[in-house]
Amino acid sequence: MADPLDYLRGFAVTFKKLFEDRVTGDYRGGKAKEGAPDNKRPKPERFHGRHVLNRYEDGMEKCIGCELCAGVCPAKCIYVRGADNDPDDPTSPGERFGYVYEINYLRCIHCDLCVEACPTQAITESKLFEFSFTNRNDAIYTKNELVVDDDGMPQKMPWEDWREGDDQLTSGWMRATSSAGDHRYEGSVHWAGELGYGVRAPEVGQSAGTISTDGGNSPAEVRSENDG
Amino acid sequence: MTDTQDAVSTVAVTVNGAEIQANPGELLIDACERTGTYIPRFCYHPRMSPVGMCRMCLVEVDTGRGPALQPSCMLPVTDGMTVDTESELTRKAQDGVLEFLLANHPLDCPVCDKGGECPLQDQTMAFGPGESRFIEEKRHYEKPIAISDTVYLDRERCILCDRCTRFADEVAGDTLIHFMDRGNNTQVNTFPDEPFASYFSGNTVQICPVGALTAKPYRFKARPWDLEENLSTAWTDSVGSRITVQSSRNKVLRVLGVDSESVNWGWLSDKERFAFEALNSVNRITQPMARADSGSDLASTGWAAAMSTIVDVLTDVDPARIGVIGGARLTNEAQYAWAKLAKGILGTDNVDAQLGDGLPAAVVLGLPRATIADACRPGGTIILAGPDPKEDLGALFLRLRHAVVNDGATLIELTPHRTGLSGIAAHSLHPRPGELGDLAAAVVAAGSGTASDAAGVAADAIAAAAASISGPVTVVLGRASLAESSAAIVDAATALNGLADVSFLSALRRGNVHGALDAGLAPGLLPGRTTLADGGEAFAEAWGSVPESTGLDTAGMLAAAAAGDIDVLVLLGADPLSDFPEAAAAEAGLAGAATVIAIDTLPNASLVAHADLVLPAAAATEVDGTFTNLEGRVSVCEQKVTPCGTARSDWMIAAQIAQRLGKDLGIESPAAARAELAALSAVHGDLTEAALAAAGVEGVLCSGNGSIAEPAGSGSVDPANDAYSLRLVATRRMYDAGTTLSHSPSSAGLARSIELRLNPADFDKLGVEAGSVVQLISNKGELMTPVIADPGVPAGSAAIPANSPGANANQLIDASQPVTDVRVERS
Repeated sequence: MADPLDYLRGFAVTFKKLFEDRVTGDYRGGKAKEGAPDNKRPKPERFHGRHVLNRYEDGMEKCIGCELCAGVCPAKCIYVRGADNDPDDPTSPGERFGYVYEINYLRCIHCDLCVEACPTQAITESKLFEFSFTNRNDAIYTKNELVVDDDGMPQKMPWEDWREGDDQLTSGWMRATSSAGDHRYEGSVHWAGELGYGVRAPEVGQSAGTISTDGGNSPAEVRSENDG
Repeated sequence: MTDTQDAVSTVAVTVNGAEIQANPGELLIDACERTGTYIPRFCYHPRMSPVGMCRMCLVEVDTGRGPALQPSCMLPVTDGMTVDTESELTRKAQDGVLEFLLANHPLDCPVCDKGGECPLQDQTMAFGPGESRFIEEKRHYEKPIAISDTVYLDRERCILCDRCTRFADEVAGDTLIHFMDRGNNTQVNTFPDEPFASYFSGNTVQICPVGALTAKPYRFKARPWDLEENLSTAWTDSVGSRITVQSSRNKVLRVLGVDSESVNWGWLSDKERFAFEALNSVNRITQPMARADSGSDLASTGWAAAMSTIVDVLTDVDPARIGVIGGARLTNEAQYAWAKLAKGILGTDNVDAQLGDGLPAAVVLGLPRATIADACRPGGTIILAGPDPKEDLGALFLRLRHAVVNDGATLIELTPHRTGLSGIAAHSLHPRPGELGDLAAAVVAAGSGTASDAAGVAADAIAAAAASISGPVTVVLGRASLAESSAAIVDAATALNGLADVSFLSALRRGNVHGALDAGLAPGLLPGRTTLADGGEAFAEAWGSVPESTGLDTAGMLAAAAAGDIDVLVLLGADPLSDFPEAAAAEAGLAGAATVIAIDTLPNASLVAHADLVLPAAAATEVDGTFTNLEGRVSVCEQKVTPCGTARSDWMIAAQIAQRLGKDLGIESPAAARAELAALSAVHGDLTEAALAAAGVEGVLCSGNGSIAEPAGSGSVDPANDAYSLRLVATRRMYDAGTTLSHSPSSAGLARSIELRLNPADFDKLGVEAGSVVQLISNKGELMTPVIADPGVPAGSAAIPANSPGANANQLIDASQPVTDVRVERS
């Protein structure tokens, strides 16, 4: 027969937690009544939220319809089809552009592998994670909804709860080192400029042991520079 | 010497420390691959001669003089050779070659159609250095240039492996692309202003080891990891080339050739490769359609209503007043189902899969039959008494060409005019149209010593041709010209059958027409190469009944329908208006039939103009079944995508019609139809599921003549010569106004408009000039056509293509006559 004290010992954790500070906050998902607190915890710099499809500074789309994101996606939530660019009115630089681009957010697990796979840094993730849908079609985001607007900012759907900073620097986590992952290239810029932000300065301290000495910035510094 | 036999039959080679047995003369790269050691390569292709261009297959070889790097694709094995494919030196060479190839190769893999299935990508991953030391600007050319209507060339990506240029030169014989410039500027290109207009250009896309050559129909359609594939059989001609059908999201996007030793060696004609586009056409028939009365348009209806109509028109009809035309599009199983429906249940023998443009079944099935391999035997003789294989049967053309060029086969042409093989033929004899039988008889007679002039060909030419016949003889037999009746070809076949060691390879062109004949879709025929007379009793027992007497062929059915003697005419994937040799007869027949039921995948001229009821049929990539090629080889067609709209398989339509008529066809699946055919047929006994599975890409050869007797001569007499007229020759081209091609966006533009080709000697006589537009007049009709001089056309013949866009030769042809005479007048 078990020791009756085990029963009380089991509750020890419960009783202890009763008198600690709560980790949950006053969060009402943007639906708070006037004056009621609606706080969110700050999100990490590289939070994996809703995707955006970036554009170059001249407004051309970065996506070339190569389907590498769709190929790597473990949830098979991305559907891409490429097509020939009209030489007189190209959608993206080069021969091919993403003709169809769809992400099914009922399946997406926000693993970010698509972002890793993208050869043109076309797809990155914003920090928005609060979006719920009342029907399937809303959950399948098409290219029209994913491509950033003319200011380089994510488009905001009515059912999405964007907070301050969620839409900023959606590609701000961008690789610190070369796209080949070689830390020797840390500090040298290996990504293209983008609409609304220009060429992003490199970040520092993201590869083991080496700190760039040639003017690299921390993510926070990057943000403040862009805000200023 | 003690060890004689073994030492001669194999050669011992040490590969990475293990001894392997190689065949003498075998290339080291092949011997290694056969025994499980893969040596990377780009330029080497087992079906083409090695050139050692890319240097990727360098391995360290010691033949007794110390180890040295040698290209294994250029090195035949020798006894005692020691090979190290993994040595430090070999690895360094592979690293170096790849780094060198990538010095100029753009890294646009994400937008390259080859990305994901690219030998350069794969081998760089497996054997490459990982990092490049090159930071210099790469070579730049204009991004893809269209070198033909279907093929794009991106010279930046080219690694100069010589595969495409070797294919064009060695295999296809269309030397239209080649290297130009030198050194760093070396590039593959076409001659200025001369496109890569080859019927086989798609093969270069398939063998390109990088994405330098891409095909328009597949451009940016999918990535390799999207694709699912099935082994299947090409359906656009009767060669039965083995293919893999690749689809993504239930849509066929690409067809690639599969290397079948007995059939196509991996090559395809562009028609076989790109015709799948028609199956994705927005014009596909997706639901049944009916015409309320003869003046109105076809309007959509449902299957139930359509089936009720069919039951109404087929109930209480005299079987002799029912006709079924076509069936060559169907699988063997569907053909058997339709044969059983028509002959066993409806009781009509008015069934013909050929549209008056083929040969009598007895000629195709009753003569000693050859395989493609038989025809291509080294040292043998090929007699071409049929259509130009380059135009009609592309993959067969490549095999015959290889046999003649590389294996020393002798080719003798007995054709109405020059063909794509004339350049390599030992003798090209061009008889007057309608007199092929005389020429064949003269060649056979000359072989036994007495040469004489025949069919407008001189005696010494005939004697020379006869003297060159040696070894086993294969006659490639088909209908070269639609303007001649098949009588002369029957006579030629019976004459040539007198040669020693002769066999015949049918060159009927249409899809699964040989399967249709084997399934009994011809008047007087029953499944399994037997006739009503011979097999009637057995089939009456199996099916309940068979027709009592031989029915009408297509010409007979159309004539009977025109006379009001046919109530129901079923067009089973047939377009008599375009394909029957005489348009007027087809028009009268279709107009005269009380009810025309068309079962098809795409709208064609006959269907649009005359069908009262249209049923949508599932196309070749949408059905399971088998296909019989011109050798009698049965290979699998596997369903890849779901049928378009509400379309159903042809066997299913037959079974449903039988069911609605209150009968049981007894066929519930393609496999059941196949099993029943194998059980009843004398020649399909080997066609078991196990045999089909075991045969893989090679297919199961159903040989033999069954109970079909050798044909007798036609008894026709040579048509009289009219000194004022020219004799019409109407031959098929690969790209014509056919239904499939005109619905294939990439290929439709390749069909050339009509042109009349005359011997230069005829121009003065006629008083017309080359390049002018003339009027071509026969007793059936007239056509306007530009005229050009062509010394390949014999004097006295007027050659036009059969089914050109906007002008079909069948408006001129009189199908009731052995030949059609035409007059040429200035317009």
